[in-house]
Amino acid sequence: MSVSRRKFLQSTSAALVGLSLKSDRPISGSFVNESFQQGHLLRDHANFPAPKQKLKVPVVIVGGGIAGLSAAWRMHKKGFRDFVLLEMNDEAGGNSRWGENEISAYPWAAHYVPVPGPKAIYVRELFEEFGVLKNGKWEERYLCFAPQERLFLYGRWQEGIEPAIGLSQRDRDQFQKLEDQIHQFRATGKFTVPMDVGFSESTADLDRISFAEWLREQRMDSKILNWYMNYCCRDDYGATTDQTSAWAGIQYFASRDPEEKGPLTWPEGNGWIVRRLLERVGTFVRAGQMVHRISPNKNSVSVFAGDAEYHAEFVVFAAPTFLAPYLIEGMSPFHDFEYSPWLTANLTLDRIPETYGGDLTWDNVFMESPTLGYVDATHQSLRTHIDRTVWTFYWAFADGLASQNRQLLLNRDWNYWKEAILHDLERVHRDIRQCVSRIDIMRMGHAMARPKPGAIFSPERLKLRKPQGRILFANSDLTGFSIFEEAQYRGVTSAEAVMRRAQS
Amino acid sequence: MGILLFITVLLIAACGLIYELIAGTLASYLLGDSVLQFSTIIGCYLFAMGIGSAISRYIDRGLAYRFVWIELLLGVIGGFSSALLFLAFAYTQGFQLLMYALVVVIGVLVGLEIPLLMRIIRGRYHFRDVVAHVLTFDYLGALGASLLFPILLVPYLGLVRSAMLFGILNVAVALWSTFLFANQLARVQVLRGIGFVVLCALGAGLADAKRITIAAEDNIYADEIIFARDTRYQHIVLTRFKDDIRLFLNSHLQFSSRDEYRYHEALIHPGLSKVPVPRHVLVLGGGDGLAVREILKYPQVETITLVDLDPEMTRLFSTNPMLIALNQKSFSSPKVHIINADAFPWVDSNADSFDFIVVDFPDPTNYSLGKLYTTTFYKAVARHLSAQGLMVVQSTSPMFARDSYWCIAETIKNAGLHTYPYHVYVPSFGEWGFVIAGMRDYSPPTVLPSGLRFVDVQGLPALFQFPPDMAPMQVEPNRLNDQVLVRLYDKDWKDISH
Repeated sequence: MSVSRRKFLQSTSAALVGLSLKSDRPISGSFVNESFQQGHLLRDHANFPAPKQKLKVPVVIVGGGIAGLSAAWRMHKKGFRDFVLLEMNDEAGGNSRWGENEISAYPWAAHYVPVPGPKAIYVRELFEEFGVLKNGKWEERYLCFAPQERLFLYGRWQEGIEPAIGLSQRDRDQFQKLEDQIHQFRATGKFTVPMDVGFSESTADLDRISFAEWLREQRMDSKILNWYMNYCCRDDYGATTDQTSAWAGIQYFASRDPEEKGPLTWPEGNGWIVRRLLERVGTFVRAGQMVHRISPNKNSVSVFAGDAEYHAEFVVFAAPTFLAPYLIEGMSPFHDFEYSPWLTANLTLDRIPETYGGDLTWDNVFMESPTLGYVDATHQSLRTHIDRTVWTFYWAFADGLASQNRQLLLNRDWNYWKEAILHDLERVHRDIRQCVSRIDIMRMGHAMARPKPGAIFSPERLKLRKPQGRILFANSDLTGFSIFEEAQYRGVTSAEAVMRRAQS
Repeated sequence: MGILLFITVLLIAACGLIYELIAGTLASYLLGDSVLQFSTIIGCYLFAMGIGSAISRYIDRGLAYRFVWIELLLGVIGGFSSALLFLAFAYTQGFQLLMYALVVVIGVLVGLEIPLLMRIIRGRYHFRDVVAHVLTFDYLGALGASLLFPILLVPYLGLVRSAMLFGILNVAVALWSTFLFANQLARVQVLRGIGFVVLCALGAGLADAKRITIAAEDNIYADEIIFARDTRYQHIVLTRFKDDIRLFLNSHLQFSSRDEYRYHEALIHPGLSKVPVPRHVLVLGGGDGLAVREILKYPQVETITLVDLDPEMTRLFSTNPMLIALNQKSFSSPKVHIINADAFPWVDSNADSFDFIVVDFPDPTNYSLGKLYTTTFYKAVARHLSAQGLMVVQSTSPMFARDSYWCIAETIKNAGLHTYPYHVYVPSFGEWGFVIAGMRDYSPPTVLPSGLRFVDVQGLPALFQFPPDMAPMQVEPNRLNDQVLVRLYDKDWKDISH
């Protein structure tokens, strides 16, 4: 009896100790949406099965990201229905793919569109069709709710990402100087979104140096200003200011002058746009069909995907352009295309950290971090009470060699990245481990084009941008900018060119 | 005999735990930081019980006599502990010292109880039965006390009277023991006499506890807290001072029962009386049922749909006797349908049409609540208005938060509605503002329900006049992507407090 009693006491006290210490809860999750295996098959010239069926389709769109879907949207809208869209993954969407769990829909990559200016006519047309723009007014519920952004620095949060606290007079002067400069560049009308509208050879000099060099030339050496410039380049291009063309750095600021406080965003990010597009053209999409060879013939193009051969008059190549030399017979390798590796993660939080600090905010950035922080997927909810949420965590591997970073991404296991992400969040939210129940991670070796010096005016790119021959290139990486507006513009204009020529 | 003995154990265990809970709760209410208060009090109390148990070995003779004395002492000290602490907090600097002293004294006495009792009855049972039974009833008593305390005692009796009630129980145990252990006791009559005196003192205290609390509360900034609960959505506190019940949500005053009729009559009647045939009414917020009480004064109204986020809130105002007296059981009306949901998504997804809509939310103190004061929200609400329908919006104070008030009015106007701002004086709030809005023109009603205490036909037009210090301001509307209102509100109230 006494023995069992002692044992009983021991076990209960152990249990009580266990209860009283907040132990780290188990966190589940995995890598998701992996697609590099398929990409590597192409790179390694694997053998693909011979086609079992031959299909005659006037237009084949390769790639179901925003560019490909926009091409499809345009053709469909103009009544041109003789096309198919081949998508390698099981779901279309590309960089605008999304996911959903019991708490919220959430983005896997692109999560917003800046409020489009008057020159982005196709984006405005699309948004009018979707009810985002009504009678010249932007629908409030699609504009990012307040508070939009915050930055963690010096142990506290400030509203907005541009550093506003702890600035010296020198810092302020340099921020002001940059603003004045940007204002002048904007006034030239040569920095526009889409870039084709204002594109001018007269600005080519800016593409010869890096953004970092340009800042030095302008004697803008403020550490905090340079942090902010670097953050902007990492965020939009996945590159540091050293790796970014000065033209691209200036484009980031000078191309936009929003008429409304934005950006436009949705719980599933730009996946919302993909959903609307798929409602219209989903029946033309063949998902899980990896194109493994494209053979230009005399008066046609053969596209081999899965066990089928598509016999097309025109091909809109909307997949990442770096894949073209692996797919298109006779195409010589490229030199000017470089891509940034990225990691995104979706964290399921079944409670909000006690260390959250302040009002729930959409975009949350930490100054002393190599990552880009996190975006709250439930921010666009109309609810006033939110106690569970999903955070999308962004990490662009900007420092160092892209190839080495790609290796690192591939070689480390899920547990490694999970710990790295939690470690990063813990610097601000100490109790994050008690709040997170799941972390899914998506690794992208070639997430977005990097506009390195020389990339914008690269003859290789300029040539591919012209709608010549039977294969038209439509991916946004042709501009050097992996953004929604460029992808949509290239998709739409490629479709227009194809329809003009197919019908003539 | 046996079972009665063990019920004694159950009672003394319950009493002991109640005193501890009272000390912890009182300290949490008065000093805040409930984690610290409860931990230190439980710690001191258990430690003192240990001292009591240790001391028990030095008591050789007169076990039963001393047990009765311990019960009497516990009855007095424990019974008056809560009242003493209230008074100490109100009149002295030594609240914490007294509290820990009381906790230690009570702990020592409680620590003595069980060892003594076990030794008293040792001869009657096998030792292992004594241990088993005494401890079983000890723990049962603790369970009972811990359940009674939050569910019945605090809401219905309050802390002062709960302590006295359990003091009486301790004394009753003492008196009872003089019979139970009569053969082991000397001077039984003296003990009974003392017990009777203490019982009378506690009984008088219980009957007159109000005066003690009032004496104490006159000196404490807060009134007696009669209900406090953290729900999933908010912190609900009800206080009472004399006949004044006040509701606080997240420490913001929602109403005072003394003058809430001014607020709720002004919220409902200027608008509702002008709706030609008000059949269907929607109330957003208003989980206290007080707006519904006013709406029920219109017999034409067939349905009242109330959407409030917090089920605890609507349940409290459907069941608590004090509160249903206040809202005149408005939630029991068959016309009322309560929906516990987040208002914005509900309004956005529901398609019903209403003749009168009451928007009565907490002030826009943060960006989450601020969503309920945006152009998008008012547009969504306006979709539910019938052709002749009107809505009224609680719009904070045009006096203390002048920019905020006019920002709300501007936002409603921006949503495409005609607006008719007005204000009233509610003593516990000060000047308070509302906005009537609709798709049609409005002028104050000339007929009102009978029996109103504040709103009358002659006085109504004056409510729509704003003197210069509350006159309209030029402000931007509040929008989801740019919540100017939350910033204005923050600034307005900061300006007042500095």
